[in-house]
Amino acid sequence: MDRVFPFGFPFPTAFYLTLYVVTLVIHVVFMNYVLAGGGYLAVGSFLGSRRDANNATGDATSILRDWMPFAVSATITAGVAPLLFLQILYQRDFYSANLLLFHRWMSIVPVLIVGFYLSYLYKGRTIGHRSAVWRTVIGVVAFACYFFTAYSWTENHLLSQRRDIWPVFYASERMMYFTPSLWLRLGLWVSGSVATMVTIVSWQLWFARRHGGDVREGEARRAATLALCGIGVSVACAAAYTAALGDGVFKVVTGALGAPYLVAAMVGLAVQAAVWIAQRRSQEFRGGFLAFASAGALLSIIGMTVVREAIRLAGTDVATLYPQHAADLSVGGLPVFLAFFAINAVVVGLCFRLVHRGRLKAGGGA
Amino acid sequence: MELPYYPINDFEPLMKGMVIGGMGIFHVFLAQFAIGGGIVMCYFQWLAHTNRSPLARRFLDSYFNALVLISFVVGALTGVGMWFTTIQTSPRTIGMMVDEFHWVWATEWTFFCVEVVAGYAFYRYAAQLTDRSRMRLLVIYSLAAWFSLFWINGILSWQLTPGRWAEGGSVWAGFFNPSFWPSLFYRTAASMTIASLVACIVINTIPDLDREERRHLISRAGRLLLPMVFMPVLGVWYLAVIPADSRSWVLGGSAAMTMFMLLAVGASLLIGLYALIGLLGQRLYINGATATLLAVLAFAASAGGEFVREGVRKPYTIRETLYSNSLTQADVERLRRVGSVTDDPYPLRDAQAYPNNQLQLGAKVFRFQCNICHTMSGANGLTHLTGSWLVDQMRMNIAKLQHTKPFMPPFAGTPEELEALVQLLKWVSGGRPNQWPVSDDPKVFADLRRWLDEAGTAPGIAAAMAAKDRKKGD
Repeated sequence: MDRVFPFGFPFPTAFYLTLYVVTLVIHVVFMNYVLAGGGYLAVGSFLGSRRDANNATGDATSILRDWMPFAVSATITAGVAPLLFLQILYQRDFYSANLLLFHRWMSIVPVLIVGFYLSYLYKGRTIGHRSAVWRTVIGVVAFACYFFTAYSWTENHLLSQRRDIWPVFYASERMMYFTPSLWLRLGLWVSGSVATMVTIVSWQLWFARRHGGDVREGEARRAATLALCGIGVSVACAAAYTAALGDGVFKVVTGALGAPYLVAAMVGLAVQAAVWIAQRRSQEFRGGFLAFASAGALLSIIGMTVVREAIRLAGTDVATLYPQHAADLSVGGLPVFLAFFAINAVVVGLCFRLVHRGRLKAGGGA
Repeated sequence: MELPYYPINDFEPLMKGMVIGGMGIFHVFLAQFAIGGGIVMCYFQWLAHTNRSPLARRFLDSYFNALVLISFVVGALTGVGMWFTTIQTSPRTIGMMVDEFHWVWATEWTFFCVEVVAGYAFYRYAAQLTDRSRMRLLVIYSLAAWFSLFWINGILSWQLTPGRWAEGGSVWAGFFNPSFWPSLFYRTAASMTIASLVACIVINTIPDLDREERRHLISRAGRLLLPMVFMPVLGVWYLAVIPADSRSWVLGGSAAMTMFMLLAVGASLLIGLYALIGLLGQRLYINGATATLLAVLAFAASAGGEFVREGVRKPYTIRETLYSNSLTQADVERLRRVGSVTDDPYPLRDAQAYPNNQLQLGAKVFRFQCNICHTMSGANGLTHLTGSWLVDQMRMNIAKLQHTKPFMPPFAGTPEELEALVQLLKWVSGGRPNQWPVSDDPKVFADLRRWLDEAGTAPGIAAAMAAKDRKKGD
């Protein structure tokens, strides 16, 4: 732990740690969109019931309502890869936490199904566009489903690192694990998701405007304000969470292993804050601003994801896992994965191209 | 390798197999619908843009909505649910599968990504696209969906027929195992059957179609049931390549397994006959209710097939490697010496309910070795299965478990643990009285040790098959 992440670990462990972090970052980007977007829709559906939200276009609500089902699907799909590498890296810890939380943990599957269907309902014309009351109920319940999932993952993550309490926890039959830092940690991730969501939605509005769509007046200013609020709260939660860390963990996070990433996360937050302050003064979204905000968001997510891992590594006797990681890397299949990863990345690109060109030829616009 | 102890949950009155089986059957059905659905849509898109069927486009829009709403949502999430349920049931099995095949799973994930992108691109933009682009997107979606089957099929079939992998072969020797191809082709045909039957349901829900238009579309959808004619051959191929003992379970060796096999065959046969007479011969009109009934039959066939696939692996979860109680043969040998729960750090949740330490030990042994497949008094309950056994009979039957019932793994513990389990079963069968004597007769332990040694730690299936062959020879 005396070298920058992921160096300082044997190659197999470093390799799987890197893959885990990279795929988790992708998952977090989509997750942030769903979590913060779900919250935005829940609040928006409640506050927006006084105006004609049914026909609103060119604002964050309409964009989120339209894209939420896809975003949930993308989040789940993107979550499969880090879930796989998590099982390679910390198999026993993850499985034990799953078992200890039992029905409570398993319930995230039906809860997510409910949230997923509600996002379709919210988007659809049957209910989502008809009644303000129903829209509010659907928006709030859908967000509750996403939030419950986020809460459960946080709970699972924290419990997985407490081998010392597993037998007592098991005997207690509690199925709910609570520690004071849980809410701080959850608050950090939830508030941190806001700026990412705002950045993506802003790009979508910018793109719509570029192709002749309307963007509601003042939307850029509102987006910037929301992003700044999210950044502010996440900084406060991060400070409180850091203060709650034990000395040993704090040293690892601020030592060689985590410090560069902690700095990266802070720089990313500073860049985002600066960009959104500038954007707030502008009447419309600017591509240059959004590019910087995206870079800042990505830097923050990468930094925080590695810091999250550093905290876990600080409390894990990781050396005992090295032999299993080495054994796992010795099984065949990596070249096949890399080949299909490359091929399928091209195929995904081809899908975008097909849609773009197909719409042009059919006269459906760009 | 150190034996991992996990905090084991009790599902009583349900057995864990019912939970994972239920989730698995549901997920497999939906996943196969997604795979076959891609093929159905490619076919109808082809009909549409070659002007062979002016109604095909209307069908496509309705069908794709059903596919997205059912398969993309519940199908995807039950896939994750399968992972979680397997962890609840047998963490060591899923852990070993992940360790061995994580690159295959990672490869499958890249196809999931393609499936989601192509699927949603079609969902959002199909109406604005040229026919050529629509067709290409659907082909990409279908190939991605089918390849997800290709990858997971290798892992699932490996559990039963690991092939040369078990002799130290590579991951690919395990992946392209003896039952890989028959299983893949069978599942492909099953996928097309399910998707075709769902198509018949969807056609009946499209408003403003008259009876002739529906008949026309149903007839087209029915053509995709044609691969069903290969299912008997594929089924026989599958049975031919699985281990002889596994085959014997479904061919009369196990009443439950045979019954589920017959359910799968019978339901498939009914669908096939209806397809032949009604849909392909165009002699019958299929309304929504009938189509739904046929889809339910397809679900029953899937359920029967999946139950058989899971069941015939006994006494293993990973053939020749991991017994159904998540222990290797080497583990059994070691635990016979040191005790199976000696190092188990998890206490009993209801320790005070047992009158003495021996019963507590028995409860821990039950939790560790039996609970994965059995309950105490619920489904597949041990008190029901052993209720008529006398105490000495019970001792010997459990000590020689793999010979008592060849689909059971060997008992993996010391004579003291075995006796504790016997006492526990007798105590529960006796109505859980407040007082229960401790059984500590040295002769009993000596007998148990002798029986355990005689039974050995190898599976009983080889001996059972040899005995069967001898009987045939006589």
